[in-house]
Amino acid sequence: MDRMHFGEHSSSQFNEALESIRNNLMEMGGLVEKQVVDALQALLQADSALAEKVMETEDKVDKLEMLIDEECTKVLALRQPAASDLRLIIAVTKAVSDLERIGDESAKIARMGQQLAEEGESPRGYVEVRHIGNHVRNMLRDTLDAFARFDAKKALEVAAEDKEVDLEYRSAMRSLVTFMMEDPRSISRVLNIIWSLRALERIGDHARNIGEQVIYLVEGKDVRHISVDEIEAKLKK
Amino acid sequence: MDTAEKFDDKAPGNAKLADQIEGEQAMDETIRYPDQTVGTPYVDNPKMRMRDVEVFYGEKQAIHGVSLDIGKNEVVALIGPSGCGKSTFLRCLNRMNDTIDICQVKGNLHLEDQDLYDPKLDVVELRARVGMVFQKPNPFPKSIYDNVAYGPRIHGLANKKYDLDEIVETSLQKAGLWNEVKDRLHSPGTGLSGGQQQRLCIARTIAVSPEVVLMDEPCSALDPIATAKIEELIAELSQSYTIAIVTHSMQQAARVSNRTAYFHLGRLVEMNDTDTVFTKPEHDLTEAYITGRFG
Amino acid sequence: MSKTTEQVRKSLGKRYRAEKRFKAYGVSAIGFGLLALVLLFTDIIGKGHSAFFETYVKMEVIFDQDTLDISDFRDEEQLNFANYDGVIRNALREEFPSASGRQERRELYSLISTGAGYELRDMLKEDPSLMGQSVTLWLLADDDVDVYVKSAQDDRLESRLSDNQKSWIESLEAQDRVELQWNQSLFTHGDSREPELAGIWGAVTGSFFTMLVTLLLSFPIGVAAAIYLEEFAPKNKFTDFIEVNINNLAAVPSIIFGLLGLAVIIGLFGLPRSVPVVGGIVLTLMTLPTIIISSRAAIKAVPPSIREAAMGLGASKMQVVLHHVLPLALPGMLTGAIIGMAQALGETAPLLMIGMVAFIVDVPGGPLDPSTVLPVQIYLWADSPEQSFVALTSAAIMVLLSFLIAMNTLAVFLRKRLERRW
Repeated sequence: MDRMHFGEHSSSQFNEALESIRNNLMEMGGLVEKQVVDALQALLQADSALAEKVMETEDKVDKLEMLIDEECTKVLALRQPAASDLRLIIAVTKAVSDLERIGDESAKIARMGQQLAEEGESPRGYVEVRHIGNHVRNMLRDTLDAFARFDAKKALEVAAEDKEVDLEYRSAMRSLVTFMMEDPRSISRVLNIIWSLRALERIGDHARNIGEQVIYLVEGKDVRHISVDEIEAKLKK
Repeated sequence: MDTAEKFDDKAPGNAKLADQIEGEQAMDETIRYPDQTVGTPYVDNPKMRMRDVEVFYGEKQAIHGVSLDIGKNEVVALIGPSGCGKSTFLRCLNRMNDTIDICQVKGNLHLEDQDLYDPKLDVVELRARVGMVFQKPNPFPKSIYDNVAYGPRIHGLANKKYDLDEIVETSLQKAGLWNEVKDRLHSPGTGLSGGQQQRLCIARTIAVSPEVVLMDEPCSALDPIATAKIEELIAELSQSYTIAIVTHSMQQAARVSNRTAYFHLGRLVEMNDTDTVFTKPEHDLTEAYITGRFG
Repeated sequence: MSKTTEQVRKSLGKRYRAEKRFKAYGVSAIGFGLLALVLLFTDIIGKGHSAFFETYVKMEVIFDQDTLDISDFRDEEQLNFANYDGVIRNALREEFPSASGRQERRELYSLISTGAGYELRDMLKEDPSLMGQSVTLWLLADDDVDVYVKSAQDDRLESRLSDNQKSWIESLEAQDRVELQWNQSLFTHGDSREPELAGIWGAVTGSFFTMLVTLLLSFPIGVAAAIYLEEFAPKNKFTDFIEVNINNLAAVPSIIFGLLGLAVIIGLFGLPRSVPVVGGIVLTLMTLPTIIISSRAAIKAVPPSIREAAMGLGASKMQVVLHHVLPLALPGMLTGAIIGMAQALGETAPLLMIGMVAFIVDVPGGPLDPSTVLPVQIYLWADSPEQSFVALTSAAIMVLLSFLIAMNTLAVFLRKRLERRW
């Protein structure tokens, strides 16, 4: 059952509350998505001003996190949601937490960008950053999409992607460490790249988490902490 | 007469109920029912086994082919919108529907090995094994003692006063009422508060040591504190008795039952473990009802 | 909002005035009823109160053995049939020796009631030592004397008494030897031709036995019929037919039941006329529909929740009815029964038909002795010519009314008491 129909509650106030939560979540998702994109750009272009903007958005994101959490708490207290509504609230609270962490990671990447602007370009790693960055960016976009459309299939695809991202990250790390051993003068600048890559890998993990929440929301199955194959098997049951 | 006004009953008037059923069945056509009940309606070694139960009020059919089991010492909740037949179904289990002339029951209903509608079965004996607590507390206009003692007396369960006293005390204790009334056992039962009266009715029902206790919306006339006390009681009682409870409060069903059965317009749509029903119901109709999307 | 308030305010005056008018109608209706009641009671009490007192005359009486003609004290028969009247006449002649000639003597003797002799007999039987003694007694006066003494000066001119009699009485009055005393005989004697001796006790006993028979027959039958019809009878055309007939019977004129009693019970079954048993049977037929209808209503009023609770515990149909329905319906049933009895107590027509209109002197000893009932007694007395009977009739009406009031009060009291407990 990949479908989720959300017909009207008999209580219009309940409907409005849920609508508000979803809208705020989408807004937060949009902000965070932009943060990731901008952070990557700031890093790749060594753009300090853009980096600054990314870090300012942090504030808005944090406020949205608190707002959505509060709205969810209210719904739990006042509406005693059950079944799909209950799972929605739980999924949203968890996803919001992941989004906020993604925001934090983006800010880290932006700060690395500022560092590089001061210290000068890194001789190596921009290709890897671009590649993994795009991958992760797409993952985030897809997972938010899946959440908006309650598309468990797409969420599963995002989860599968994360494995690839991990592999790419490890191979990038190996190559950059090798480079640092060969050219010790570049260590401090390459390190910035390495931290950024690590942040990107983290963002991928969080995107996967959000996907797992979408699966929970749609299928009612808790698929955290298991491999993608195991997830697929569980969903087929 | 004044007494008639005091008791406001919802005993189904034959004609009214038939009309109500007809009105609701007009909505029938647009709904997709499952061919078979979704979930886990059957258990091993059930206490009560019901297969293909159909109930008719004259020409109108109120229950369509319901099959389910009630396990030993289980608490089963029957939920569903008004007029969906859950009370009608419950009343089949102790043949209270016999009192309504135009009501006809078909199907296979068993209490362990005993066929409930076996012509050789004495209904009086059945009702000593399957007791019932009603929606509006209805203690007899007698003393508290006589209320509880009535069942044992008529069934000859206690001949000596000492035995009767013991049964009364045990029942009142099991119903959580003993401490509140032990000093006034001979005051009228109708002088208690609503919640106490309902607990008195429960004590009265268990005084005959039934195997199954049926409860038809037992808390709907009570305030939250009295309701909480009775829900607590149900949990304790389930250790000794099998319980089937009809409730229109989903939260109550969620709190007290092991399995929940969702009825919709006389059909059993889904029956599952309660936590499954309330976190991940299997059928659309159940989901719609539980989340409050009544359309 | 305020526009509505304004409109409401404007109509308020009209509403209150209408309410006041309605109240006034109600109060005046009650007032009219009360007025009628007051007039009725005033009339009855006014006419009847004098019957509770009778005129007695103080005379000196000698229990002269020769006059009495008693040889042996212990002989019952002699004591019973001795010539007590003779003793009284002696005393009268002593008092007014001037009376001479048969006419005057007759007038003299008729001053004292014919029943006074019985009092002397009772006294002598109780205390035989009075024989030969001279005793000062109060003797019961004749009803004409009674009327004369009780009437005002102007009315005395119209009395039936002769001038002699009037002067004798007045001389006795002057000596304070004429007194009004409590009329015991009204409550202890049966009917009599002589007003001063007439009493309602015979009728009261007759009414009592009749009511007893009616109650013993109609209550069990009525209650059982009501229970059967409400609880056990199948709902089909036949039972509907029965119900219609019962309701119709309640409206049948009571005299029809009297005819039935005459034709069937007396004619066919050959029971004696004018006995409480027959009267009771006739009245049973009359009150049965009332009791059945009110009992059914009482049973219908028992809430179904009690029945369901009892059935849910495994009580059989009979147990539900006996243990739960009947006790709860009993107040209503009793009320219906008492009101039915009160109605029956006041019934005259059907009892006339079965012959309870005969003149019966003896107080009935049992339900199979011929008797009359209070309402019939009243009817008979209302028919009699003597003036004293007017007062007696009203007095009997007062007694009957007080019984009815007592019974209805009992009905209300019982209903309140039995209902309040639960």
